[in-house]
Amino acid sequence: MKRITIKRVSAAILSFGLIIVLLAGCGSGSGDPSAPAYRTVDEIKKSGVINIGVFSDKSPFGYVDEYGDYQGYDVYFAYRIGKDLGVDINFVSTEAANRIEYLQTGKVDIILANFTVTPERAEEVDFALPYMNVALGIVSPSDAVIESLDQIGPDDEVIVISGTTAETYLEKNYPEIKLQKYDTYAAAKTAFENRNGVAWANDNTEVIAFAIENEGYVVGIPSLGSQDTIAPAVTKGNESLLYWLNDEIKALGEENFFHKDYEETLLDTYGKDYEDTLVVEGGVVK
Amino acid sequence: MDMEIIRQYLPLYRDALFLTLRIGWYGVFLALAIGLVCAMIIRFRIPVLRTIVKAYVGLFRNTPLLVQLFFIYFALPKIGIRLSAEFCGSLGLGLLGGAYMSETLRSGLESVAKIQEESAESLGMNRYQAFRFVIFPQAVTYSVPGILANVIFLLKETSVFSTISLMDLMFTAKDLIGMYAKTLECLTLLVIFYLIMLLPVSLLGYVLERRLRHAEFGD
Repeated sequence: MKRITIKRVSAAILSFGLIIVLLAGCGSGSGDPSAPAYRTVDEIKKSGVINIGVFSDKSPFGYVDEYGDYQGYDVYFAYRIGKDLGVDINFVSTEAANRIEYLQTGKVDIILANFTVTPERAEEVDFALPYMNVALGIVSPSDAVIESLDQIGPDDEVIVISGTTAETYLEKNYPEIKLQKYDTYAAAKTAFENRNGVAWANDNTEVIAFAIENEGYVVGIPSLGSQDTIAPAVTKGNESLLYWLNDEIKALGEENFFHKDYEETLLDTYGKDYEDTLVVEGGVVK
Repeated sequence: MDMEIIRQYLPLYRDALFLTLRIGWYGVFLALAIGLVCAMIIRFRIPVLRTIVKAYVGLFRNTPLLVQLFFIYFALPKIGIRLSAEFCGSLGLGLLGGAYMSETLRSGLESVAKIQEESAESLGMNRYQAFRFVIFPQAVTYSVPGILANVIFLLKETSVFSTISLMDLMFTAKDLIGMYAKTLECLTLLVIFYLIMLLPVSLLGYVLERRLRHAEFGD
């Protein structure tokens, strides 16, 4: 019996060691970094399908409507990209925290999931020209409005979505604020409605839309942190697709495409007032 | 692989390990308690309760933990029942595990030969004594491999806790990847920490199984 126990223990230690060696191995070798994980414009055209990563639960930017079709500001742009490339679109639903991964592993050609441009992200992916402005905002119930971050007590929790700029910003600049993290928009939304946290921090576009669509909520802090932009992202090094996107965005500026996009997809939510604050036309931030 | 990053992330993974273990073990103990009670109800054929137990086992064995957690965490507050995320995690794990444990224990009880009970009674033991001193110890012996498989299964199921905002090992890794995109380092740490958590359980189970064999007799 003793012999068998020793055998078992050594087998376990061995398997543990094996995995570490394996991982260390691929750490140094890094699995042949020269092989590109992306497809060029020509390759995409040849295959006839482009994979575009969008949100499926972030109304009105990227969501699935009652007929099961993708809709929203990002999706409207995605359809145009497909049309101008002359290929079919395969929409890939992403979560905030997956966006970089999906590009790095070649699961999608473009991420069009309301992706805010940040220096950290720009090290991992390549951003094209921007098509929207964004800042952070904080929404809270109207009977307990939070208008300043000082109002958040030591035991209060603020809801954020894992992998968003709101999370990174608060972690970096306000480490003392307790965050309650969710992995999807849908979960965060439900948790906030259930009042699991005192406030919800997210892109201000998102929280403004939430407060407009749901009664009893106020955006106490409409603009927090720096004014950022949202842009399509491609796999690091995919210059062919990046340049094509930049040319596309510039060309679309001529026909005021993104204003039309706004009027088709966002007008119902935000009204006319936000059109010029949100839309970036032709890749030029005013 | 960047060792500096790994060193920086280690405390976060350690916290996640403790959280996972804490919730995991509460869940496992709850599962064992529920499983034992249910198995006994089935064994002694207690009317009404027996039907309830069967319905419970059917419900929780045939729905994913993710759905159960969603229900406990997101749906119950809508009808005024508010529970902390950690409590929901333990409760969900306990209820899921209870259904599995009860089936494992029941099959253990059934594998004890009928002649054991008859012999115990012929020695003058009543039904309770026969169960407590003859049937149950043997049944536990038979069930140990199944129970341990359940324990490991439950500890691994903690990886869906991210949906209810618990920073377990899985969510910590996903969250860090989302923020800093150090995929290789984060996933390596994740595998190592799951092994740190589960390998000792596997080994303990093996030793325990050997030891408990002493309770086996007859046949």
